[in-house]
Amino acid sequence: MKPLILMVEDDPQIRRFLRAALAAEGYRFQEATTAQDGLTQAAAHRPDLILLDLGLPDRDGLDVIRGVRQWSSAPILVLSARGQERDKIEALDSGADDYVAKPFTVGELLARVRAGLRRSATAPAGVAFQFGRIEVDLEKRIVKVAGEEVHLTPNEYKLLQALIKHAGKVLTQRQLLSEVWGPNSTEQAQYLRVYIAQLRRKLEQDPARPRHLQTEPGVGYRLVLEE
Amino acid sequence: MVYLLGVVAVAIRCGQRVSVAASVVSVAAFDFFCVPPYLTFIVSDYEYLVTFAGMLVVALVISAQTARIRAQALHATRREARTQALYRLSRALAGQTRVFETARAAAELAEEVFEVKVVIFLPDEDRISFRKRTSESLPVPLSDEAIAQWAFERGVKAGARMENFPNATAVYAPLLGAREICGVMCVIPDAAGHIFSEDQQNLVDLFANQTALAIERTLSQKAAEDTRLRMETEQMRSSLLSAISHDLRTPLASITGAASTLRSQHDKLAPEVKQELLESIAEEAERLNRLVGNLLDMTRFESGAVELRRDLYPLEEIVGSALQRVERQLQGRAVTAVLPGDLPLVYVDDVLIGQVVTNLVENALKYTPKETPLEIAAEATPDAVILEVRDRGPGLPAGDEKRIFEKFYRGSAKGARGAGLGLAICRAIVQAHQGKIQAFNRPGGGAAFRMSLPARSPS
Repeated sequence: MKPLILMVEDDPQIRRFLRAALAAEGYRFQEATTAQDGLTQAAAHRPDLILLDLGLPDRDGLDVIRGVRQWSSAPILVLSARGQERDKIEALDSGADDYVAKPFTVGELLARVRAGLRRSATAPAGVAFQFGRIEVDLEKRIVKVAGEEVHLTPNEYKLLQALIKHAGKVLTQRQLLSEVWGPNSTEQAQYLRVYIAQLRRKLEQDPARPRHLQTEPGVGYRLVLEE
Repeated sequence: MVYLLGVVAVAIRCGQRVSVAASVVSVAAFDFFCVPPYLTFIVSDYEYLVTFAGMLVVALVISAQTARIRAQALHATRREARTQALYRLSRALAGQTRVFETARAAAELAEEVFEVKVVIFLPDEDRISFRKRTSESLPVPLSDEAIAQWAFERGVKAGARMENFPNATAVYAPLLGAREICGVMCVIPDAAGHIFSEDQQNLVDLFANQTALAIERTLSQKAAEDTRLRMETEQMRSSLLSAISHDLRTPLASITGAASTLRSQHDKLAPEVKQELLESIAEEAERLNRLVGNLLDMTRFESGAVELRRDLYPLEEIVGSALQRVERQLQGRAVTAVLPGDLPLVYVDDVLIGQVVTNLVENALKYTPKETPLEIAAEATPDAVILEVRDRGPGLPAGDEKRIFEKFYRGSAKGARGAGLGLAICRAIVQAHQGKIQAFNRPGGGAAFRMSLPARSPS
């Protein structure tokens, strides 16, 4: 059966084109126009993915994320306004998986929806992992670029591992720091940036224009697998 | 004659009363020592009595004259000191452009001239406020505020030894200007109390008056400046309005036109035409989005609503994500980014500096031919990190190097569209980072935009 998507959005025009786009791709969908309605429907229908607008008329969209996360790990894709990095970070730290900034094209949205559904469907990455020219053997801890083995420091490797674990998803600086250096080091953001820069130099063809280790300005990082 | 000289000497040094006494004594002494019988006051020859009378008259006249000269000299010195003090005051006040600075300069000079403590209090919305004062400490009791207010309202001196509030410790002199009363000068007398002499009090009044005139002058300067600013703002607003009405309406017109064509003539249109109309809707919407974004950014910057969230970032990362953002607009344009591996981290707001890079690249894409390459380069100097976006387009028209950073200024190149805000936003962002941005033509053709961000101090 086709995946079920719940959209929580109060603007009728946006709902209208979301409906058209999702239907064209063959997804089943439910609609909610308030945070309360969204929470009720999420509990009733158990959707495979939730599209969530943060600016809802009754309550903060963050409440929906926290509410849903108490019992479900279904991917949540946030629809946010441009330039509100603080909101995005808060949404991601509260448990959202990804965001698209309004105005977005249907192409961008569907790509994120597909990536979200794929992440929740596939089990955590297997032993060998490959993207672009890069191969990672998670068991033997070997990283190869274009067939050549590359030496990574333990911290660089841990960082890469964390990114692979959440491949395709935006990770906030706080999430990455706590995963790699432990929950007490979430204030040392510049270390993280330096390690990312080093990883890029070792793995990317052009570190100033990275294909895989991408920056989400003001928010965090994302490992992009496909080109 | 020798005795008369003595009288002159005494008259020059001392007051008139002393010199009169000296005249009498000198006549007596002449009688005692020089008139026979010697060493007695008895006069044998009565002709001497006439001599005595003559001597006394001469001595008295001399002493009176000398005393008058002395008084005149004293007066002249005082007047000179006073002129000197007023001259210094007007010099100290001449260059001041702010009310508070003017008052402070006046108070400082008054302290020096009168050799006592002086504070000037300024009004806060029609009431004298002890909080608006020129010295850090408050040398008078807070309850004196009422006396200052009294002097301020009536324009009459009050306080110590004045008709009103004689028990106060200080004298409160209103700053009487030509149009209004600008404040109150508070003079705190010392133990000797020479500040109370008529002369000194006159000088206090003159000081207060001069200070008031200077304050009025700075106020009118400020008013003129405000008017100028308001006029500039008006002008800006009208150019903003014309930019908005043109630049927002054009893409809206294309969108409306294309969408309504698709709706009403759907069946009659060839598939390629439909596709073309759809493309134009998407492109124009994108353009509208950029325009609105720029307008919002500029407004946010000007209203001071932008708060820098600075941290240490590798410049490479900022350039990388900026290029990622413009990827779709590059359309196969050759872009090289050459950043040395040992660049120091920059202390910036990554989102905003990323936007500067994005705007510079977008700008270059807009104003240069498709087949020309773009370069992004960076280098570190001892006190700055420099980033350049260079193109090989037609370059900047002479004289435009500065103007292109002005709001609503659009380059003269044909086909360029936009509100003329992109570079103005860049400048606002870079300046907020205490950095500099400039544009120049490259040797060999093309333009370069250079942003220099201050290297982070070791703190």
